[in-house]
Amino acid sequence: MLQQKLGLSKEGASDFRKGVFFCALANLVLMAPVGVFYIATGEFVAHLDNPESPLPSLGMYVVAIVAVLAAMYLSQWAEYRATYGTVFQESSRKRIALAERLRELPLSFFGRKNLSDLTASIMKDCSDQERMFQHIMPQLFGTGISTALVAVGLLVFDWRLALAALWAVPVAVAIVLGSAKKQQAGSKKETACRLSLGDGIQEFIECAREIRSSNRSAAFLQKLYGRVDDFEKSQVGAELTTGALVASAQTVMRTGIATTVLAGSALIASGQIDFMVFFAFLLVVTRIYDPINSILEVIAELLGVRLSLGRIRSIMDEPTQQGSKDFSPKGYDVSFENVSFSYGDQEGTVLSDVSFVAKEGEVTALVGPSGGGKSTCAKLAARLWDANSGSIKVGGVDISTVDPEELLSKYSQVFQDVVLFDDTVMENIRLGRSSASDEEVLAAARAANCDEFVKLMPDGYQTMIGENGSLLSGGERQRVSIARALLKDAPIVLLDEATASLDVENETQVQEALSRLLAGKTVLVIAHRMRTVLNADKVVVLKDGRVSEQGRPKDLLETEGLFRHMVDLQNASSRWSIGA
Amino acid sequence: MSGKQRGPVARMLDYAGRRKPLTLIGCLLSALNAVLAVAPLVCIWFVLRDLVSVAPDWGAASGIERWGWLAFAFAAAGVVVYFCALVCTHLAAFRAAANMRKRSLDHLAKVPLGYYDTHASGEISRVIDGCAAQTEGVLAHTLPDFVGSLVSPVALLAVMFAVDWVLGVVCLIPVAISFLCMWLLMGGGRGGESDYMQFMMKYQDALTKMNKAATEYVRGIPVVKMFQQTVNSFRAFKQAIDGYTEFASKYVLLCEKPRLAQLVAINATFAVLVPAGILLASSAGDFPMFLTDFLFFVIFSALTTSMMNKVMYASEAVTMGSDAIRRIEELLSVSEVRSTGDEHPERFDVELRDVSFSYPNSDRRAVDHVTLSIPEGSTVALVGPSGGGKTTIASLVPRFWDVDEGGVVIGGIDVRDMEQSTVMDLVAFVFQNEHLFKESLLDNVRSSCPNASQAEVEEAIRAARCEDIVAKMPHGLKTMVGTDGVYLSGGERQRIALARAILKDAPIVVLDEATAFADPENESLIQEALSKLTRGKTVLMIAHRLSTVVGADEICVVDGGRIVERGCHDALVNAGGVYSRMWDDYQKSTSWKIERGDV
Repeated sequence: MLQQKLGLSKEGASDFRKGVFFCALANLVLMAPVGVFYIATGEFVAHLDNPESPLPSLGMYVVAIVAVLAAMYLSQWAEYRATYGTVFQESSRKRIALAERLRELPLSFFGRKNLSDLTASIMKDCSDQERMFQHIMPQLFGTGISTALVAVGLLVFDWRLALAALWAVPVAVAIVLGSAKKQQAGSKKETACRLSLGDGIQEFIECAREIRSSNRSAAFLQKLYGRVDDFEKSQVGAELTTGALVASAQTVMRTGIATTVLAGSALIASGQIDFMVFFAFLLVVTRIYDPINSILEVIAELLGVRLSLGRIRSIMDEPTQQGSKDFSPKGYDVSFENVSFSYGDQEGTVLSDVSFVAKEGEVTALVGPSGGGKSTCAKLAARLWDANSGSIKVGGVDISTVDPEELLSKYSQVFQDVVLFDDTVMENIRLGRSSASDEEVLAAARAANCDEFVKLMPDGYQTMIGENGSLLSGGERQRVSIARALLKDAPIVLLDEATASLDVENETQVQEALSRLLAGKTVLVIAHRMRTVLNADKVVVLKDGRVSEQGRPKDLLETEGLFRHMVDLQNASSRWSIGA
Repeated sequence: MSGKQRGPVARMLDYAGRRKPLTLIGCLLSALNAVLAVAPLVCIWFVLRDLVSVAPDWGAASGIERWGWLAFAFAAAGVVVYFCALVCTHLAAFRAAANMRKRSLDHLAKVPLGYYDTHASGEISRVIDGCAAQTEGVLAHTLPDFVGSLVSPVALLAVMFAVDWVLGVVCLIPVAISFLCMWLLMGGGRGGESDYMQFMMKYQDALTKMNKAATEYVRGIPVVKMFQQTVNSFRAFKQAIDGYTEFASKYVLLCEKPRLAQLVAINATFAVLVPAGILLASSAGDFPMFLTDFLFFVIFSALTTSMMNKVMYASEAVTMGSDAIRRIEELLSVSEVRSTGDEHPERFDVELRDVSFSYPNSDRRAVDHVTLSIPEGSTVALVGPSGGGKTTIASLVPRFWDVDEGGVVIGGIDVRDMEQSTVMDLVAFVFQNEHLFKESLLDNVRSSCPNASQAEVEEAIRAARCEDIVAKMPHGLKTMVGTDGVYLSGGERQRIALARAILKDAPIVVLDEATAFADPENESLIQEALSKLTRGKTVLMIAHRLSTVVGADEICVVDGGRIVERGCHDALVNAGGVYSRMWDDYQKSTSWKIERGDV
């Protein structure tokens, strides 16, 4: 229950319980000095009542004091370890669990969210909760428990004075909780303003070149200043609402001081209680409100955490693609049978009734105008999305019944936008197969013609390549991605032909590498340059989401179809030159 | 917080502007609250005093109720005053953070454009947004509470002389220990050198690193899926998370002893007060008087705890805050682009005169004594291996960076002698990785020429052959880019960027030809657009595909930051040098075909 409600891991929930326990314990130990004061004062008062009664003996008290101090230190230590000591482990687990979850989600999920939102929710929400669980939450619960215990003790000790001291506490809590909606509205507005400012800043930085080039800096800054001001205003608004509410609650609570003195003086005047009982309650009213104060102050923050917990939970609850782990196809023919597909609902149909077979060991090229559905076909083939109707089979097995990861283990992908990580060249290639030895990685790198450029790098294969591989050129990136695919050696290769010509200086190198990768595989090529697929085994021409023609390139060239037209057009454009 | 450099809090306050005095008022109110906090205790003490004075006939005390009401009144006043104090400090703190953001943004608008190529966007935005936020807590809470915690011992000192100075001094011992612990936590007077400060800096670095790794991870999820990587095998992210966790845990351990000592100290008044009371009791002349005094301090010991509790975490907040302000100051210290004049060239020929340039923090020359001249209306192409310096040379023309030696000259005037806006008006550039604004498609194109009519925008869109992009957008030209899942592919963004440049109609065009090839299906359309864009202009083009520059007036082969060969296509091919070899290679690569290979 607790685990679910607070979005904790199993270990986290147990750590949290420990934290609350030790916090309550530590708080109770902190009340021990009141006891020492009470006993010492009792002996003093006895002496006052009756001068024959002995004064307290120092030795006993020193022993008691040392014991209380030791207990205090130990209980605080236990609390510190149980909260600060574990919270970072917990948020690390949470971050990893979230990241793991993100990985399992279908890519369709990522189309709906933008990258910065997602990253923000992993990092920001985890950090927020880190802070909460570090001391606020255990303290809240711990203090709640210890205060309740103290209250029960006081009620048993003298219920009349206890009521006089504590009656206002529920009222104060009710004020804060009752106004939760109002506070939440403030913090929601603040969050909205913060996000809009963050977006604006991100845009300002990313589009710096465009802004400068159009001399719009002033206008942009103006817009951002406006957002900065709005954010400031929303902060002030949220803070003032919360602050004013909490302050009034605290004021109400402190009427307990007056009512205690009032009740106490009446009771003592009528002889119903003695001085020491009254004294005990006076000590209590000077101390009990502070911890409750801090509870009132963090209730507002708790509401904010509910929002961030909600965001995390919505990711954790997002449905994933299911399928059998057991995948044993007969061969690796990839066949599309009457496949239709659309992305979400705002756009129209991307594919309708597409059927073709990409045979094992053959090269099948998807060609056609951009937006015709080529890339979508390739994505569906790897079950990055699920088709709306029709079926896609690999070796006779419908891939919608196969676990996405199991399926992907049979695919290699060489696409235009290569994603690289801020790590060494070696590790970026090893991504293809984590278990590969250094020798295997180097062999794949050589086969992908990476050797030549890696040797020029300062630390060779151990060179860090920067954020998203920023130190590599387009062609170099391609070769790294081909090396990955070679290392993986999957039976089906999805290839975006544009990768072969991204980096003209090294085009031949990339092309050689590609030829090595494709040998003996089921190859599905998204082709842009018609010339490159003239030797393919099959060409499938897609236009407006439909197959307009398919067959051997030689045969298609003889018909006066779209393929023929595109070949002609591109022959002309390859002769274009600037200034000519 | 003293010495040569001003303290972090003072530096933060500089940003509060006219609200700076509010911080002072807030601190004074907080001090007043600390004094007011003493009053209810005094009232309660009066209750006890009145009772003790009639002991043992406890019932005889009269009029003690009013002390109760007075105690409540003071307590309530304290709450109100403290609330006002926080209102003041919050107003100032939010303003300071807002001004930090504005100042940083303003500065970013003036740094060389190249800065954005060498710094990750996430890093910059974290400084502007995150670091400013970290200073808020310091100014809004930590500072007034700290002032309050300094005042309450003073208030205590004042009343204790009226009561019993020996017991008063005894009560100050735990306060002193608690301050000592805090001083240790803040680095023991060693300022930036301290272990804690070092730790905090490394901790912040670890946090930044983790955030960067998270961005990489999310961006790379398609790849991660493709290769069955789990987070655990995903080294960089896992390491960053672990690194952060390790640092955080170490920091926790580092703080443990002083923090616990502090916690115990602020609750330890009883440990010194009770023995002192017992020792003094035996020698007390007037026992009821002594008992009254003793009870005073017993009641007062609550004050130490509550006041010091508020500043328990002051050290942490200040350490984090000072790291934050340091990062902001670092950003603000990046030198701005400055112009030494406001000249406007009459001609639009471009010259690079013996230009050398190296990137900041690099000792390798990215451009090494390059001289280049592009007569008005002619086209010069830069070709050569990647990393050879083509893009760097091109980016010097719109003054993304200032050259180290030599000069970039437009129409006889050095670009440094023109306002930056003048240079920007003169030069249209289309590089790779163009970005779009989160605005409508129409405004995106219009951004280069705000006065353009819709018809002119549409004309530019036609010229750049972007009609198909517009056609597939849910709301045509009015579609907002970057929201509701409307994203454009790299090739599409390049074409929109071309439309922008065409609309701008600047006399000088700097162009990365790869733009045309981001979208091979529409290659011939984009080529037309390029021809339109460059007609009659002074053009500097980075070329990848040699066939596209066959017709250029001059081709410069760039390698290692130098121009190693130059001339027109025919001459270069005949010369049999680097270019002719590149040309042969190129011919070979264009005949490559994808086909079934041998197993």
